[in-house]
Amino acid sequence: MKINISRQHIYLLSILTFFLIFVLLFSFALLIPKGKEYRENRIEFKKEAKELRKYQNFHNEVEEKLKKLQGENRRVMTAFDATFDPYRFQKQHRNYFSTLTISELSEVSDDDEFIAYEVNTTSEISSPKSFYEFLDAVNKSDWIISVEFPINFKREGEMIKSSFTMKVFYADNDSNRTKPSVNEVAE
Amino acid sequence: MKYSYITPRPKSAFTAEIQLLVTFFSITLGMLFITYFFLLFKDYTFLSDMDELAVVQSELSVNIKEMKEQITFIEKENLLAQKVYTQNTVLKDSIANLFDLVPQRITLSEAKLLENGLVLYGVTPNKDIYNFMLQAPLRSIFHRTYSSFYPAQNGWLRFVSTNYIDEEINLSQEIESEN
Repeated sequence: MKINISRQHIYLLSILTFFLIFVLLFSFALLIPKGKEYRENRIEFKKEAKELRKYQNFHNEVEEKLKKLQGENRRVMTAFDATFDPYRFQKQHRNYFSTLTISELSEVSDDDEFIAYEVNTTSEISSPKSFYEFLDAVNKSDWIISVEFPINFKREGEMIKSSFTMKVFYADNDSNRTKPSVNEVAE
Repeated sequence: MKYSYITPRPKSAFTAEIQLLVTFFSITLGMLFITYFFLLFKDYTFLSDMDELAVVQSELSVNIKEMKEQITFIEKENLLAQKVYTQNTVLKDSIANLFDLVPQRITLSEAKLLENGLVLYGVTPNKDIYNFMLQAPLRSIFHRTYSSFYPAQNGWLRFVSTNYIDEEINLSQEIESEN
């Protein structure tokens, strides 16, 4: 039996076969692996985006907590950052004393976070009540000040002469913060 | 010499079948290429988006670290401030208690409040009043109490009362109370 295929058909068949092979090769060699990679990348991206959303939420929570803390402790934070001004201290507290003298400020301790300065104070009060009121006022002052031992009370006529040490605390959170110098302190 | 009366048709390799085949495969290949370039583009955008996410995440991480440090620091500030305020209040109460402790008949001329002790100078009409009305309460507060007397010009007695709290005992009491 003789198969009679024309030259035209042979061309047609050849081109068809070539195209088919090209399409199959292109699909299996490039398109399908790329598609798989795309799918993997999309899943990975969604996972990362989800993680980021969680992280963003956590970030917002921490930020909210920080703002709340800053709001609640505004006075304390300002007090820790405030530079001790002996003139202002005297002005604010002279009502409790007949006389109030503040000595030079000297650094007593410096850990990584807080610096403590000591200042010696001599004063005259008319009654111990003034001293109690002064201690109450110190807690409401613009600085973080603790009144330290030793505290001396000595009767001098109608007045009581008192001498004590105060410790002023500063936050060392900012290295650029201006630290009080001796020149700033009242004699 | 002519063998045919019809004019010969011009013959082309691009017959109707081949044209149909080429059109079909052109469309198919076009779609395949478009899909491939779409995937390439999406892969590129995914990768650049992932890089962006990583940058944002690292910025958030740094921010969170800084904020946590700030929170810790504010808490420490607050703790120290409360400690200082409490210390001042306790000091005020201690001084008030000390002055309340001194009876009307005894006059203090000087008081020295030390970290672990108290030194009182004053005048008393006699030793008994001092012993019963001042020394007894002082003894209940301090671990060691020493008194010395000197005669005053008006017949009264000047006294110096030195009182100490032993730190070792203090510490052990604190440890016991903590336990």
